[in-house]
Amino acid sequence: MSTRDKVAIHQLPTGVPGLDEIVGGGLPEYSFNIIAGEPGSGKTTLAHQFVFANATPERPALYFTVLGESSIKMLRYQQQYTFFDPAKLPGSIRFINLSQVVLENDLGAVLEQITKEVEKASPAVVVVDSFRTMVRKPQSDMDLQSFIQRLALFLASWQATTFLIGEYAEDELRDNPIFTVADGLIWLRQTAERNSIVRKLQIIKLRGQNSVPGLHTFRITNAGVQAFSRTFGLIGHLKDPPSHRRLSFGIPELDTMLGGGVREGDSVLIAGSSGTGKSVLATQFIAEGIRQREPGIVAVFEERPQAYAERATSLGLDLETPQNDGKLEILYLRPLDLSVDETMHSILDAVQRIGAKRLVIDSLAGFEMALSPGFRADFRESLYRMIFALTGIGVTILSTVEVDESFTEFPFSTYSISFLTDDIIRLRYVSIEGQLRKIMVVIKMRGGNHAKDVREYEITSKGVVILGKRLTNYQGLISGIPVRTDRPDSTEEPSQDTGIEHKT
Amino acid sequence: MTATLEMRDFAHRLLIYEAGAGKASEPMDSPTLRVYEKMRQSLNEFVGVAGFLSLATRALALAKREAPSLGTARITADGTLQGLGELEPQLDIDRERAVEYPSSEGGVILIARILGLLRLFLGEALTLSLLRNAWPGEVFDDRSSANGRKA
Repeated sequence: MSTRDKVAIHQLPTGVPGLDEIVGGGLPEYSFNIIAGEPGSGKTTLAHQFVFANATPERPALYFTVLGESSIKMLRYQQQYTFFDPAKLPGSIRFINLSQVVLENDLGAVLEQITKEVEKASPAVVVVDSFRTMVRKPQSDMDLQSFIQRLALFLASWQATTFLIGEYAEDELRDNPIFTVADGLIWLRQTAERNSIVRKLQIIKLRGQNSVPGLHTFRITNAGVQAFSRTFGLIGHLKDPPSHRRLSFGIPELDTMLGGGVREGDSVLIAGSSGTGKSVLATQFIAEGIRQREPGIVAVFEERPQAYAERATSLGLDLETPQNDGKLEILYLRPLDLSVDETMHSILDAVQRIGAKRLVIDSLAGFEMALSPGFRADFRESLYRMIFALTGIGVTILSTVEVDESFTEFPFSTYSISFLTDDIIRLRYVSIEGQLRKIMVVIKMRGGNHAKDVREYEITSKGVVILGKRLTNYQGLISGIPVRTDRPDSTEEPSQDTGIEHKT
Repeated sequence: MTATLEMRDFAHRLLIYEAGAGKASEPMDSPTLRVYEKMRQSLNEFVGVAGFLSLATRALALAKREAPSLGTARITADGTLQGLGELEPQLDIDRERAVEYPSSEGGVILIARILGLLRLFLGEALTLSLLRNAWPGEVFDDRSSANGRKA
């Protein structure tokens, strides 16, 4: 024992997938916590998950129910969740109904009853549900504050981690003695936006450790509450050392235009109008990765995985075998009411599951449309977080985005997400000699040289094929309506940019 | 709708257990009352007095439709059962006979109805878990009744 030793606070698992990450590893042992929110927001379910994750016969949990939902109905519904293990009752988890005491006596009698049961069972976890119904009875402020302080002191002394569950509106947060005493305050919200329900949780307060600030999406499924951290569970992952490796598209001319390929860990955007071959390029990128033994993920929103793989087959690219070998996953993410964080967690799970090095999101427009309307406002911000998190661990991301074809303008993206990308490849139609042809140009490569050339390409049975040299005998190619000049087509090698980042 | 055979078998086993559980030197309540009281005390903690009262009242109402002999039985405000005495065998007189015929038909049906409601609301696994406080494991572990049905 040293006078310089700090006390180590043991953290208990919350039993809620994703929540440990949000609270900074787990909830502090012996802490006095409040789970607050409106009716139906998942407070009781969250408390049950904690109880079932931590209660043992040696250190059981006492779950005090008060007025409100009847115990029978509560357990009737709670047992539907997969975490609910009936074998833990009553040895590890005891439900004790205090409604009679609350109805017939004052808070002192309630405290006495809780004290008696805690001294008898020496529980590791104590839950009072719903605490709010207990204090709605007319009490003076002093009574309530005194009760809370005595309860908190007693339960901490008895080494119990405690949860008070209460129905509170947000405007009740201020000047409330209960919240002052609490070590932890978990707030659950649910709001209706258009036709969707959006659920978010916030760790308003947690003494002794750093939690992830902000609002985190959560969902209630048959597995209970599942939380989706805004940091996507990637806190603590060290960024891979800067890589100078270049990843090939499997199209030598394009690799040359990119100065040798896409830099590993970059976020690449392929922008173009419908039919310009964005998905074909993305498929070639992922297939080349497989060939280079770099596992990949394709997140599709506009066609089913089978159709995506069949289209690759028509280009001579085999996506079936790597799927069977666990080197490739094609994710189809189109359920309604999906939150952006849930979608991104599905992608992240897959990335981590197979150790993916390349990720294709095809397309950003489809991704946005797959989201619940209420989450679309967060799309860009969430996309930024995901790209930052994934590229931070060395995953190279290629996203496709459809842009409106204009013959007077040359927009990079209708989503104004260019700032999210390191590299931009722009595909577009041009009208040349009575034909609608296709050209591509590398607009931007952050921190690397790239060709300034405008190259014509075709989509063939072998995918995207870049034709000839750069088009030097036309002016105004990127307008889509070029004017022929007298200069012959170039025979020069592709010219490289200086490496100075383009402002986009 | 009558109490299911499964629940009646299970109720019968609880009653048989209680009929043989008391000390021979001590007078004892009827097995039905003993089973009922154990349930009440065990479930009171979980559902509260009001919760058990409503459950027992409903069970008695259902049981009375099947067993008119329960007509005098009633549930008091604290959830205890009264008015059953004259229906039950005098166990302090003939304990061996009590094990063989532990309860009146009405008693079996009443207990079966309570068990049935618990199973209806909570499911079998949770019902058994909650009752494990009141009875030893063998009552639950040996689930096969004499006629081969499962409780």
